[in-house]
Amino acid sequence: MSCTKCGSENVIIHRRYSGQHLCKKCFIETIQKKVLKDIKKYELIKKGDKVLVALSGGKDSTTVLDILSILAERNIIELEAITIDEGIKDYREKGIEYASETCKKLGIPQHIFSFKEHFKITIDEIMASKPPRKACTYCGVLRRWILNKEAKKLGADKIATGHNLDDEVQAIVMNYLEGNIENLTRIGPATYSQKFVTKIKPLREIPEKEVTAYVMAKGLKVHLEECPYRKTSFRKKIGTILTGLSKDHPTILYSTLRGHEKIRNALKKELKGESILRECIRCGQPAARDLCKTCTLLKEIGRLKDEIHSHNR
Amino acid sequence: MKFTLIIDDEKKTMKIREKLTIKDVLKDFKIPLEAVVVKKNGEIVVEEEQVNDGDIIEVIRVIYGG
Repeated sequence: MSCTKCGSENVIIHRRYSGQHLCKKCFIETIQKKVLKDIKKYELIKKGDKVLVALSGGKDSTTVLDILSILAERNIIELEAITIDEGIKDYREKGIEYASETCKKLGIPQHIFSFKEHFKITIDEIMASKPPRKACTYCGVLRRWILNKEAKKLGADKIATGHNLDDEVQAIVMNYLEGNIENLTRIGPATYSQKFVTKIKPLREIPEKEVTAYVMAKGLKVHLEECPYRKTSFRKKIGTILTGLSKDHPTILYSTLRGHEKIRNALKKELKGESILRECIRCGQPAARDLCKTCTLLKEIGRLKDEIHSHNR
Repeated sequence: MKFTLIIDDEKKTMKIREKLTIKDVLKDFKIPLEAVVVKKNGEIVVEEEQVNDGDIIEVIRVIYGG
């Protein structure tokens, strides 16, 4: 068995969806080229943009930072990182440590914010209060709130996240199965909205396995540990089903993604005008109703007090 | 023939009679190929790679989020 591109015998990956075998050097090159090509194809970044990578210290966000640093080195973009400490004991500390090390190594400024400073409560404390929803709901909503608010303050044009192919297809299937059809219209390579900083997903077409192989092949230091709250998530169940399906259908993730792209525009037309964004009456952040999702969740768990984040307006 | 298998932070010594590939090892543990990256003696390898006497096989699960 030899590398499909250069003929080397030291093959490290077999792409079952394309039939390619690749050595370490060619594999790293194909990943970087594919990501940079997708950035161009979907117009995710333009020259002079200030891009903020949502960096957790895990494999996905570290890969985004590593590849976007190529553009920063060429002075095409301005690159910074933002790390959020949700307050997950014995888990998040390591991620933050690795994220900071990577930023130092690449010479990229890093900003760290926490749930505690913004909401006066950590995700561990929220979960200890036995709330009605799962951890991922609070974590995701509250994290996005901080990201958008701080990215605006930092004058960022784009927020780059580490969503990979598996994440994206899981989101498509989850939203379909749960009947959240409106959410399906928002899944794509970039999320544009006047009130939110544009979010981009440069790894959207890279399988999770390849992101893992990339950080290993490049020797990037990443936090490879599963979040303790993920075990209970619906996403994990869907991920397990999709991985099982990929065994006999290696192209299933790509075909689901392409299928979604075809129906997304039709859905957008159908649902046009159904959700108009306004400002949350409580915190001033974008909201579909009077209260934004973050304030709604904080209210639900009895944490919406004046001192919490009215000062954040 | 024996080899060392590192999986989920656990180190096991495996004794085998016949020649195996990484794919065979993963199959025994019911681990889908799509869910792991495997290192043999510190280098990433493909699932078709043979396991030899004294090898250290490290299985890294990819489903972490991050």
